Amino acid sequence: MNKLKPFRLAVAACAMLLLAGLSRPVKAQAAPMAANQVVKAHAYVSLDRVPRGKEFEVAIVATIHEGYHMNSHKPLDEYLIPTTMTAKTPEGIRLVDTIYPPGRNKKFPFSPKKPLNVYSGTVTLRLRMKAEPNAHVGKTTIPVTLRYQACNMSSCLPPVRIPVDVPVKIAAAGASSHPANREIFSKPGM
Amino acid sequence: MKRLASAFLIGSMALLVSVGFSGCSGKISPTATTASKSGGQPEPDVTFKNLQGQDVSLASFKGKVVLVNMWGTWCEPCRGEIPTLIQMQKDYSSKGFTILGVATNDEVKRVIPFVHDTKFDVGGQQMTMNYPIVMGSDQISTAFGGLLGMPTSFLINRQGDIVKRYIGSLNPTEINSDVKAQL
Repeated sequence: MNKLKPFRLAVAACAMLLLAGLSRPVKAQAAPMAANQVVKAHAYVSLDRVPRGKEFEVAIVATIHEGYHMNSHKPLDEYLIPTTMTAKTPEGIRLVDTIYPPGRNKKFPFSPKKPLNVYSGTVTLRLRMKAEPNAHVGKTTIPVTLRYQACNMSSCLPPVRIPVDVPVKIAAAGASSHPANREIFSKPGM
Repeated sequence: MKRLASAFLIGSMALLVSVGFSGCSGKISPTATTASKSGGQPEPDVTFKNLQGQDVSLASFKGKVVLVNMWGTWCEPCRGEIPTLIQMQKDYSSKGFTILGVATNDEVKRVIPFVHDTKFDVGGQQMTMNYPIVMGSDQISTAFGGLLGMPTSFLINRQGDIVKRYIGSLNPTEINSDVKAQL
């Protein structure tokens, strides 16, 4: 009988915990994602090394968590926060162009009449750059910042900036270089 | 007996775990949270700035039923529920109710034109926001327990207790029923 006592106590404690769990007035809170976790971004460079004087491209591939979307670069409403990408180029690297993919017009339960222009799934944003004659030869990193504001079907998360480091190898002018990350840069629209 | 007790123990643990984590799916859904039997937790002691830059304390609304609605001009679901809020302000303000819109993660220079100029279809009538709007801040969000997403609303009773929290777009039927119960 005594052997069973601790076991009975454990059962009783568990039952109390269970009852407490069932009778609590506070409904379990939905655990949202942190805004900076909604998008995972990776950088790819179009050349294995970039000779001074040559243009190259950087692709930022952003994977948006399922169930979420973010405004495109050109949202249809002036108050909505567009997705933007900025690069802090080191000396000798020049930003030639920033290219955003078109968004998709989509209606949501919270905006049944008015479509929003959004990105969802995986989107690729591009930066066209040039290594100038004075670019530092060797490895360098270009810090890129992606700013976005994400929502799901009923809620929005605050706008957030996430850093994406772009590692680039700069070579002497006239050095040989080869295409890299073809699977990214050979996609239609790239 | 021991087998039975073991089964109960395992079953209880499984059920407890499932109850405890049922909401942790990674989704933000319209979730209401009732706080306590007495009507809830005391409202935080916070002071907002209105759109003219003047102080407005939450305590100054004591005696009224208040629906604090955390919103943003940039938040489409927040904007989607504004017609419901306008209608509620129309229906219940004479009975000691007000909505307090707290513009969060926003700039006052964007909020002012939005509040003054944006018209919403409220039962076929074009209306601007008809309830007080103040500016939020990270400190204010923290004082309310932190924001999990927007919109987030808090229903406060006449005694100044938060009786319910709503995460995500409001359900018009639910919020009307909850407010009526407090009036």
